[in-house]
Amino acid sequence: MWRVINYQENSAAMNMAIDEALSDSVAKGDDPVIRFYGWKPSAVSIGYFQSLEKEVDLDQCKKHGVEFVRRRTGGGAVYHDEEITYSIIAREALFPGDILESYREICRCIVDSLALLGIDSEFKPINDIITNGKKISGNAQTRRNGVLLQHGTVIYGVDVDKMFSLLKVPDEKIKDKLIATVKERVTSVKQQKGVSRDELLQALIQGFTRGKNFRFVSLSGQEEERAVRLAEERYRRNEWNFWR
Amino acid sequence: MRYEEKVPNGKMVCFDVECKEGKTTKVLITGDFFLHPEDAIAGIEKSLTGISADCTEIQQKISGALGNAELIGATPEDLARIFRKAVLCGE
Repeated sequence: MWRVINYQENSAAMNMAIDEALSDSVAKGDDPVIRFYGWKPSAVSIGYFQSLEKEVDLDQCKKHGVEFVRRRTGGGAVYHDEEITYSIIAREALFPGDILESYREICRCIVDSLALLGIDSEFKPINDIITNGKKISGNAQTRRNGVLLQHGTVIYGVDVDKMFSLLKVPDEKIKDKLIATVKERVTSVKQQKGVSRDELLQALIQGFTRGKNFRFVSLSGQEEERAVRLAEERYRRNEWNFWR
Repeated sequence: MRYEEKVPNGKMVCFDVECKEGKTTKVLITGDFFLHPEDAIAGIEKSLTGISADCTEIQQKISGALGNAELIGATPEDLARIFRKAVLCGE
């Protein structure tokens, strides 16, 4: 039976640590998990193979009280602010072996959720969901120890100018043009429909649990302890965040 | 030296290379691509260390290092091309 962990807000390090702690417990045979969460304070996460110093303006992050963390998943830098993030953590065997097919299958839950709000969207390989040609959700997956972890964001609101004050661009001279391009290519639930963040959350819960046996739970004591330890020993450490 | 490229219909791949007498002494690959399992990155970087831009087997070395690992958002051919350009930038 699926475990569903309802929306909670955490620090960047703790969010990534909880995903890893849950992955560990699923690897040991515990039930699969669907988790919804937010980032408090807001944060930038970078992909596993990215360089923190190349991607993120650390001085600006400090100035604005924005945290940063390296994810265990590949993909790009994400500014987590007005959004709902999800994680799905399960034995690999529950999903197609083909990675893109598993993205498609999990992203279908988001497409279904958005449809409940009257937003038409579609999966766009490799790892995006688009509506009216614009990105509304980004997703990233890793598979370790027989466990699939996919997490992703559903953009509720987006402040592209703020985002670009935190992320570095390869060439400052084209920054304005880049911001204009991103504004054209990214949208949000708020821009598409006048629904509340809570309505989005309820739609996501419905979309992700459809056809599944599930129960709402909290982290177990062991998972909580493991997550606190991982946050301290990995996700807050320079050795991890500045690895590349 | 650094060279990066957004792979058409794929992801950003960046090579930082250090060279001595035309041969790489340090190779670092960064970007927003996906690699399953992720640990395979160390093998790719190692396979490209100690070689020069005119090596004719760059792509084969990358494919060999990848083994059964799955690279998403770039191909071994893309990596080989970007690596070669990074090394040439440093010469």
